[in-house]
Amino acid sequence: MIISGTQLSVPEFLAATGWEAKPEGLCRGELCVPAPGALTNGVVDVTVAAKKLGMPLVHDASHNVWALGVATTTGRALASAKAFFPSSLIDAMGRAFDFNSLRGRRIIMVAWASW
Amino acid sequence: MVTVALDINPEHAKPWIALAEPTHPSLIDTTHITDELFGFINVPMAVWIDENGMLVRPAEAASIERSPLRDQEVPTGLPPRIEKMYREVKSIPDDSEGYRSAILDWARHGAASKYAMSPEEVVAASQPVSSNQARAAACFALGEHLHRTVGHDAAVPWWREAHALYPENWTYKRQAWTLVTTPEGATENDLMQGPNEVYSGNWLDDVIAAGGGGSYSVRPQLE
Repeated sequence: MIISGTQLSVPEFLAATGWEAKPEGLCRGELCVPAPGALTNGVVDVTVAAKKLGMPLVHDASHNVWALGVATTTGRALASAKAFFPSSLIDAMGRAFDFNSLRGRRIIMVAWASW
Repeated sequence: MVTVALDINPEHAKPWIALAEPTHPSLIDTTHITDELFGFINVPMAVWIDENGMLVRPAEAASIERSPLRDQEVPTGLPPRIEKMYREVKSIPDDSEGYRSAILDWARHGAASKYAMSPEEVVAASQPVSSNQARAAACFALGEHLHRTVGHDAAVPWWREAHALYPENWTYKRQAWTLVTTPEGATENDLMQGPNEVYSGNWLDDVIAAGGGGSYSVRPQLE
């Protein structure tokens, strides 16, 4: 996941990663990972948060772009069973899709590709 | 049902969506963010999410219909490479009947379905992820971002690194390969994804190196 820098607001960090920075730690659903030093005055220090979540933080120096990898706190692809729905998915008309429209319904999400 | 096309160029997915005339949300993931969030490493794969937004099954192969290809004899006279691909495709495990039955059971019984996992079970049943594999996600994301904002050449080093770090992730490889093996101006993607001058890997040789078609998918554990 691409991030704009290493200092993000709480909403920016949540939107990018699905993890919410709270005083008790970095949380997704019921799971909170203690992360002292990650949150100061509403700003998430991504270098600290990434370390606590076991997320590789990779920098392309030529283009000054940062990206975070997958959290490795559980050693599994899923850190939590709580689904985090990204806001970047679009329909065939290019419109963003709001997963809140499916709230309260069971979902089978199927990944496919043209390739 | 929600379908998500893992296509960095949405124009490649749109014709298929139009042909399907879907009545369900048919989305396109141009950054492969769902790979990271849900653990997709090949297609087709699926996750199940309950009414409370909790995953009850992790990413796993999601075919619901047996391909006629599996029951066909390999035609004679094919070029050797095509014949090998044919045989590897035929050896990909087919769990479509069981997976389809499991979906129907969940549709009928919801949380009481024996196929619906607890939160702890679903995390434990998701694929293992190492620090290298976690870093591969960041490398692929950088490549996608640079492909879109700078150009293809800027993406290649990051995609090469992603492939090396996580060779079991076929979405990273197949997405990148098809961009270099599809001829300019072609109306459909090249699905052969053969040897090329940009990446060291290609579909057939990587499948064989991984153990053959039998190792190609994340089989649903339905027992």
